[in-house]
Amino acid sequence: MLVLRPVEPADLAPLQLLARDSTADMSSLPDDRERLRAKIADSRVSFSSDVQAPGGQSYLFVLEDPRQGTLLGCSEILATTGFTEPFYSLRNRRFTSTSREFNIEHGVQALSLCHDLSGHTLLRAFHIDSAWLRKPPAELLSRARLLFMAAHARRFAEAVVSEMVGYSDSNGQSPFWDAVGKHFFDLPYAEAKRLCGPESRRFLAGLMPQYPIYLPMLPQAAQDCVGRVHPDAQEAFDILQREGFETSSYVDLFDGGPTLYARTAQLRSIARSVTATARYATQIDATGHCLVSNEGLEDFRAIIAERDGQAGQTLALTAEMLAALRLNEGDPVRWVSL
Amino acid sequence: MIVRPATITDTPALLALAERAAPGFCTLPTNEEHVAHRVRWAQRTFAEQVERSDADYLFVLEDDDQQVLGVSALSGAVGLREPWYNYRVGVSVRSAPDLGIARQIPTLFLNNEMTGQSEVCSLFLRHDQRHGHNGRLLSLSRLLFVAEFRHLFGDKLIAELRGRADAQGCSPFWDSLGRHFFQMDFHQANHLAGLGNKASIAELMPRQPLYTCLLSEQAQAVIGKTHPHSEAALKILRAEGFAHKGYIDIFDGGPVVEAQVSKIRAVRESQTLSLSIGTPDEQAPVWLLHNRRMENCRMTAAQARQIGSHLVVDRLTARRLQLQPGNSVRAVPLLAAQRQAAAA
Repeated sequence: MLVLRPVEPADLAPLQLLARDSTADMSSLPDDRERLRAKIADSRVSFSSDVQAPGGQSYLFVLEDPRQGTLLGCSEILATTGFTEPFYSLRNRRFTSTSREFNIEHGVQALSLCHDLSGHTLLRAFHIDSAWLRKPPAELLSRARLLFMAAHARRFAEAVVSEMVGYSDSNGQSPFWDAVGKHFFDLPYAEAKRLCGPESRRFLAGLMPQYPIYLPMLPQAAQDCVGRVHPDAQEAFDILQREGFETSSYVDLFDGGPTLYARTAQLRSIARSVTATARYATQIDATGHCLVSNEGLEDFRAIIAERDGQAGQTLALTAEMLAALRLNEGDPVRWVSL
Repeated sequence: MIVRPATITDTPALLALAERAAPGFCTLPTNEEHVAHRVRWAQRTFAEQVERSDADYLFVLEDDDQQVLGVSALSGAVGLREPWYNYRVGVSVRSAPDLGIARQIPTLFLNNEMTGQSEVCSLFLRHDQRHGHNGRLLSLSRLLFVAEFRHLFGDKLIAELRGRADAQGCSPFWDSLGRHFFQMDFHQANHLAGLGNKASIAELMPRQPLYTCLLSEQAQAVIGKTHPHSEAALKILRAEGFAHKGYIDIFDGGPVVEAQVSKIRAVRESQTLSLSIGTPDEQAPVWLLHNRRMENCRMTAAQARQIGSHLVVDRLTARRLQLQPGNSVRAVPLLAAQRQAAAA
């Protein structure tokens, strides 16, 4: 039985292997031992702190196969964007001009650098071993974060965003980067993403274009990247869309990938999740599956469980499930259908 | 050769010139009604019946057989009836000192800074007439006219020179920029501009500063560069003190050159002299001459000899200027001093 739990220092080596394999989102999951070590440390502090209001905390989760002792994936929540350093996006909006003479109103899409998405909770660093794509464990890895947010609402903002990795080709080239960012950074795409870790985004202010970029002036290949998801990130995108995230008029300033947006309280796993009391059952007549979590912090655990379809104040769990969730009968649980 | 105000009877000849000049010559469209309208307006201008904001002095170059071989114009002021747009080429600095990265990116800023200035424009000389002093006469006579009627013009004179285009007449600057906002090709846009709609087109173009690194390489290469056909005209203006200060045309990126009127050589060095008739010697330099009149303006280039406050010209020159001995003439050597020395 796979278990989702907060990251521990001992996870450093397998975590780096995951980062190495991940084609997505190099900036939030860097293949860099020291940066990952710092990330793990920040996460442990966040889980163990008493937090009254969202700040700069980051919560990193890993998906473990306890029997093999291996990690299959990771995912993370940043409590507030723009808290420790500015959070930049590109806002894609229409600039209209009017010609009195020709009686036409003419609109042109342009991308402007902005901080509009500051103060939101951010889902990031989602990566799962490709063997588990489009299978329930991917849902667990992504959505358990939302169960955590439901359990600890005051640690998170009223709106939540997630930047989906944008398109790059099989050689790792990003047409959007080549047409835009490269002119300002004079660096290849991979190098720029590597430099742009969560800790060092401040240099973006001085380098990124401060004037709008008119889309029609960009090569068609670059225009096509705006709002386009990298094939490897499609699963992550689909899971979040089903949760109620919507594409917005914001895109990533490196690769043009779409930023998803939602009101926290309206997300399916938050709005529809219910709390119940754990009840021991030797077996469950399963009519479906659900995601179940305890309501813990440092000992937060989440699993996939069978459901017996009965409504009520209790949720039937087998001994194995109770153990995975570190619960006794009678303890509170939170669950939502898969 | 003389330079004189255009009259309505010149309309067919002007149309013929416009057709020769097309496509790149947008201020004289190949449209009879427009040309006739422009000439009528110019006649009102020379009759001093219009305000500076609307003043359009249209001149023709005519030989002794009354053949119209060239055209040029002066406008009293640009941008006072409809906004006048240019781009100014500035610099944006983007840097991250921590990373050791610093970029200086040429940036285009849309502006109306030429508002109220006077403009030399509409210059076209038949290709087979581009020899001798014809080009200088046609172009510089306007400056002598300004020297005579200073109160009718602004502090500065500007000139928008045609930008570079490819062999088909397509402008890489337009293709990389304007076309995306105004869904038509360069010739169409130019044509509309010639019909007086340039401001309307400008209203549809991007108002925010533009990083030139986002233009095509071909477009970047033509910023501030003039078309080969206009290089001679540019050279003449440069010799008079016109300079390019970073302003360009919003359509084709061609350079706008400018000069303080008081500092233009032909204005600064012009004198009013008393006309004498005689036979200037063979070594006599060529002078640019104006009979100091408005409606009956006549200007010409001829060898002349200055003696004190008199200027000696031959009888034909006096006739071309419609002047008698003892009349006042405004005159300036056609070539700048150092070029005269080289020519001698």
